[in-house]
Amino acid sequence: MLEFQSASLSYGATVALDSIDLTIRSGEQVCLIGPSGAGKSSLLGLCNGRVPATSGKVVLNDQNLGELKGKALKEVRSGIAWVPQDLGLVPNLRVSQNVACGQAARKGFWGLMRSLLLMGKAEKERVSGLLKRVGIEKKIFARVDHLSGGQRQRVAIARALYQQPQMILADEPVSAVDPERAKSLVELLTTIAREEKMTLVMSLHDVDLAQRYFDRVIGMRAGRVVLDGSPDDAGVRELYRLDQ
Amino acid sequence: MRRRWFFIGAIALFFGGLWVLEVRPGQLIPSEGGREAAGDFLSAAFQPALDYEESDMRGGEVSFLGKIGKALWLTVRYAVVAMSLAFAIGVIGGVLGSRAWWSKPNLFLQVLRIGTRLLATAIRSVHELMWALLFLSAVGTSPLVAILAMALPYGGTLAKVFSELLDESESSAGEVIRAAGGSGFTAFFAGVVTKALPDLATYALYRLECAVRSSAVLGFVGIPTIGYEIKTAYEDGHYHEIWSYVYALLIVVILFEAWGAKVRGLLTKGTPSRVGEEKGQSLSELWQGRGRSWFLRFSVATLAVGIAAGWMAEDRWGAGVGWEQRERNLDRFTGEMVPYPVREADGDWSVFGSWFSEKMSDEGAVALWRTFHVGTTAILLAGGLSLIGILFAARTLATSNPRGVRDGGSKIRGLLGMFLRGASMLARAMPEYILAFLLLRVFGPTYWVLIFALAIHNGGILLRLGAEVFDNTKSQASEVILAQGGNRSSAYLAAMMPAGFNRLVLFLFYRWESCIREATVLGMLGVASLGFLISDAKVAFFYDEMILWVCLGAALVFVGDLTSDFVRGKLRTAE
Repeated sequence: MLEFQSASLSYGATVALDSIDLTIRSGEQVCLIGPSGAGKSSLLGLCNGRVPATSGKVVLNDQNLGELKGKALKEVRSGIAWVPQDLGLVPNLRVSQNVACGQAARKGFWGLMRSLLLMGKAEKERVSGLLKRVGIEKKIFARVDHLSGGQRQRVAIARALYQQPQMILADEPVSAVDPERAKSLVELLTTIAREEKMTLVMSLHDVDLAQRYFDRVIGMRAGRVVLDGSPDDAGVRELYRLDQ
Repeated sequence: MRRRWFFIGAIALFFGGLWVLEVRPGQLIPSEGGREAAGDFLSAAFQPALDYEESDMRGGEVSFLGKIGKALWLTVRYAVVAMSLAFAIGVIGGVLGSRAWWSKPNLFLQVLRIGTRLLATAIRSVHELMWALLFLSAVGTSPLVAILAMALPYGGTLAKVFSELLDESESSAGEVIRAAGGSGFTAFFAGVVTKALPDLATYALYRLECAVRSSAVLGFVGIPTIGYEIKTAYEDGHYHEIWSYVYALLIVVILFEAWGAKVRGLLTKGTPSRVGEEKGQSLSELWQGRGRSWFLRFSVATLAVGIAAGWMAEDRWGAGVGWEQRERNLDRFTGEMVPYPVREADGDWSVFGSWFSEKMSDEGAVALWRTFHVGTTAILLAGGLSLIGILFAARTLATSNPRGVRDGGSKIRGLLGMFLRGASMLARAMPEYILAFLLLRVFGPTYWVLIFALAIHNGGILLRLGAEVFDNTKSQASEVILAQGGNRSSAYLAAMMPAGFNRLVLFLFYRWESCIREATVLGMLGVASLGFLISDAKVAFFYDEMILWVCLGAALVFVGDLTSDFVRGKLRTAE
């Protein structure tokens, strides 16, 4: 369970998040919506302790993320996958090598080096299985910069799954693809997350997708939570209407 | 896959080089006597002399610190004057070697361009120390020898780089001028040179920093710069004095580097305008508020005064030996530089082939092969060490928020990073030749000394360049790895290194070319390679052999240059 207890985040004089109180239960599929600059990315940054809260607390399974350091922090993070907006892939590495990076925390430096230079048969099969699940198994040995935008997003999802996380954080991962492709990717990620009983927190601009695929929608504006409810909540449409 | 083969090839070449050079770890342990001497020498590093070690010298006309000051002044003066000449050569050669000023290509211009570039590459292939030896042998000692010895190879280097920069400079502004009826030259000056000017000045400044180091090294062949004082102090057994000279040189080189970096930054980025957004400002107010830097103006003025003073302060440019003696030297040199069998056969060059084969099979081929391996092994060692070092020295990793992801770890990383960056600065500031000279006192005459000297200096350069590349390359993949609990080394290995790999290899080849060039002269310190054969031939007055070995060294550097250019061109295209 992830709890925000009056968590605020400021960058100098700019307030990115203002006293957020939220609880996200394990296995929940949560979508963050709101206009640019609403604080969605900042909220995701607090979820895995990438940035510490300026005041208040972010507690994950009874551990205050702001107080964790070094190994303890890494241990917690090894259970949280992150799919950033630009996907965070290494363009000149192969798909298999990028996916192997999902296990960076568990493998350590030498284990990762082995995976990158001489990936064993068993690992190749595991990676291949994941790629099959996301629909790009034939691209396993292709360089990432030779793939289309949609295929790259699937690689990023495969890397996140390879981490075997309890929670996936995805920061507008479909912002750069056409609506049809965005729909299929969100569907894929939410389906897998449900099957694996993983928590999924994703920020999106598209309210239709939020309403269709998620258990819960959190609306944000100017660093505050302005809406928190089910996808059928009338306020979701209202927030959407105000954004237009 | 290509990366893997590159690493495998590099490792094979490194160990192959060690095998060819017959170096063993045991050679790093000096003999008992050597250990004692090395101990004395190294312990003197902690007590540099502030006065002459020889009591007879104290209270003389020139104090020890005054002597250091004079040696430094000469070192800097020769460097500045030589660079002014090199700059003129570079500008002329750079324009002739560029196609950016052509209105319409034709055969003459093509031949002129290729000829200039080949000539520039050829003169820079001969190391300044070798030029100095040639001039010293031909005309005897004089300050002009030092200036020409540096000006020629540096001029060649500037010509080559300037022509590349001019060709690469975006010419759309030039095209607009041409389209408006401007001549090819007008378009070139207004559209190309103006755009390339900050890069041209930046590179010239960088070479000025290098020239200060080269000027110091010329002291080892008798030019009265600080290298001469280091060598003399060693011959007199004054170890404490050696370190005083070394530290003084390091301070000057580091100051030059810091000044150069500041000026280069201002030239590249410019100075922001101080004009506000408010309306109604007069033309003179706008002029007053334009972007300008007093530091830059002061630097340019100081440089101009420095160059003028450097030329004028010397009233004995041709001094050293009398004109008659100089003529005799020149006659003898030009006569004896013709291979001995050709002279014996009254100028019949048909005997040259057998003489050349004999010289090559006797010692030339082995020396050439070993020189190549000294340079290659050293750069691979430098590359390997800097690859490890970058992980700890890169500013974006040596912090408690690596790549912007909070880590909250100890401050040791930051301190280690600072230490490594400081060590890299010292390594860069120390000329390879002087470093090898000092290491010889510790390890004795082994190839390790040459390898270490080149590896330390170039490792320092690669560490800095590599760390800058990684710090400036955006890599969200590394942030993802850190955010999911991976450590810095995993982020470095899996995300940052692949992203910056081509750049690193580019730097490696750029420094390899420089290592090969330096390796051709390091043997002059007494380790069997091309440099050793050159100094041996000079001592014996075998000028024909000396020229042969110099040409062989130049050919090696020439081939190295072309190979490096080719590989770097390919890598740039692949980026």
